[in-house]
Amino acid sequence: MTEPLLQLRDLRVWFPVGEGLFRAKRNLRAVDGIDLQVAPGEALGIVGESGCGKSTLARAILRLVRSSGGQILWLGRPIEGWSTARVRPLRRDMQIVFQDPLASLDPRMTVGEIVAEPLRVHARDLSRAERRERVVDMLARVGLPADVVNRYPHEFSGGQCQRIGIARAMVLRPKLLVCDEPVSALDVSIQAQIVNLLQDLKRDFGMTILFVSHNLAVVRRLCDRVLVLYLGKPMELASTDLLYSQPRHPYTQGLLAAVPVPDPDLQPQRLGGALGGELPSPLAPPSGCVFRTRCAHAVAACAAAAPQLQPVEGGHEVACDRWRDIGPYGATP
Amino acid sequence: MSQADAPVALDIDQLSVVFDTPDGSLAAVNDFSLAIRRGECVGVVGESGAGKSQSFLAVMGLLAANARVSGQARLGTESLIGRDVAELNRFRGVKLSMIFQDPMTSLTPHMTVGEQIAESIIHHLGSSAEAARARALALLEQVQVTDAPRRLDQYPHELSGGMRQRVMIAIALACDPEVLIADEPTTALDVTIQAQILALLATLKRERGMAMALITHDLGVVAGIADRVAVMYAGRVVELGTVHEVLKAPKHPYTAALLASMPRIDDAGTGPLPAIGGQPPNPRRLPSGCAFGPRCAYADDACRAERPSLIGPSSIEGTRSVACHHPLDGTRHAREST
Repeated sequence: MTEPLLQLRDLRVWFPVGEGLFRAKRNLRAVDGIDLQVAPGEALGIVGESGCGKSTLARAILRLVRSSGGQILWLGRPIEGWSTARVRPLRRDMQIVFQDPLASLDPRMTVGEIVAEPLRVHARDLSRAERRERVVDMLARVGLPADVVNRYPHEFSGGQCQRIGIARAMVLRPKLLVCDEPVSALDVSIQAQIVNLLQDLKRDFGMTILFVSHNLAVVRRLCDRVLVLYLGKPMELASTDLLYSQPRHPYTQGLLAAVPVPDPDLQPQRLGGALGGELPSPLAPPSGCVFRTRCAHAVAACAAAAPQLQPVEGGHEVACDRWRDIGPYGATP
Repeated sequence: MSQADAPVALDIDQLSVVFDTPDGSLAAVNDFSLAIRRGECVGVVGESGAGKSQSFLAVMGLLAANARVSGQARLGTESLIGRDVAELNRFRGVKLSMIFQDPMTSLTPHMTVGEQIAESIIHHLGSSAEAARARALALLEQVQVTDAPRRLDQYPHELSGGMRQRVMIAIALACDPEVLIADEPTTALDVTIQAQILALLATLKRERGMAMALITHDLGVVAGIADRVAVMYAGRVVELGTVHEVLKAPKHPYTAALLASMPRIDDAGTGPLPAIGGQPPNPRRLPSGCAFGPRCAYADDACRAERPSLIGPSSIEGTRSVACHHPLDGTRHAREST
């Protein structure tokens, strides 16, 4: 295997909360012990419900939030303790696209200024003309004509704003593109356009993508591998093929079953199999396996010790001690 | 009694909504007609700006002040359009209820859950406070709120998003409505909670024989619980039929293209999605002829010249209506047609 672009070792992001005069300090464990290797050119999906820690994990990797423990290795070098100033040059190689396409663009800057800004920060030796050429090239690459450079974000639709956000992130040709719910705010017909654009960019520039999303259908289409998180912990990690065709973790099985399909012959039955219950408070996670309170297969032993990720086959890993009894499709125990 | 001969609970006829704005008038809904029978759920699907919410806000009398409504909507024998607030309040929350997308902003933050459910029971049914509280508890249990007795005295901020939406549904059901309008009721929720709420709505519809309009942008959501589907584009219904007809064999190219462009959880394909090009039209500058024409693979001169009207079931077959000069033959599955 080529050297991983990115490695996480037992990465943790804990937020101290509720500290008060008469209250002890508690920690919200947003990300709690993630081990991961991301190969160059790979598209890794990070999925789970709201509050599972998927966005926090992505932001910790970009050093937009500080990690509380563990290691982040970028091209083999640990960067988790680096100062902001020392991290800054790395940002050239790691960029992000946000969920809300309009809110993530400065309303007082023209599209040209927005897309040129990363070049002004990270590629200062470029002349004005060179910078303009790069901006126009990148805009063309994301499907926008050159004349948009003098217009402002509010003149564009959500889908077009997301193209601008992608152009801004891609103009430096980063090694890693983090996409945090990039299509969630878009209309259905526009979602497909943006998914296709990201696929094209990945193929043409060979970049690595971390794709954070609650939309499991989009992740299946776009990603090579998927990490499933629940309450900050890894539940399952597998190639997209294996995760969707043979999900091993009861949470993954429940999550996949909950996604509606537009087929009236299939969907009414799918509704009947919905995962029950709700996400427990992240301040008081269940002991042992954090998923056990919603798990149809939980037994007494699940409350005792937290299961670690264990190998199934071919890089497929699952954090469930009962995976052999459960089977790949969620058959009843 | 099968659904097809059940009495019509909500009859919307030629409804149009125009907003007067400083930049001129803007037609949000044009000639929207739909009859929903008792025990029937009609899914109303479309993208942002298609007019799906505005149609039903017009029915509820909840449009902004600069809206002009024409056409008719009847609840049983009562006409709803053009009535003043006091008259509308005899129906709203009683025979006709609505739930909204955002369960946080639709609940009052300073009243307990129990008070908010009891409020409409006391107001509309004249129950005593104790009787209303007992009914509120029963309703919370019916919408499967866990630990219901304790929830009665909690405030909305103490509940999760899914629980809040269940409370909204309990309030909507408080006076046993004949018609429930659900406007994107699960869009703000996680997919696992969405499945729970949809299963609950399906059960309530079945058990209570309510008529339901389910407004959503997600064709997967309607596939689970709707009996019929109306597809809207640029303020008009472009296709209407049973959920099987519309989703399994769409006749309108927009419906087919929308279905094909959705990535599906049960589709292992990895190639590019057959996306719909272009953008939904600006309602101020609708293209001539068919509004979907500029994005349609089948559009020709006839489509640019004349807007196709919605041709009803008598002219086609069965229960289907479609507004297209070149309807698809309907035998192909949407995903194979691209």
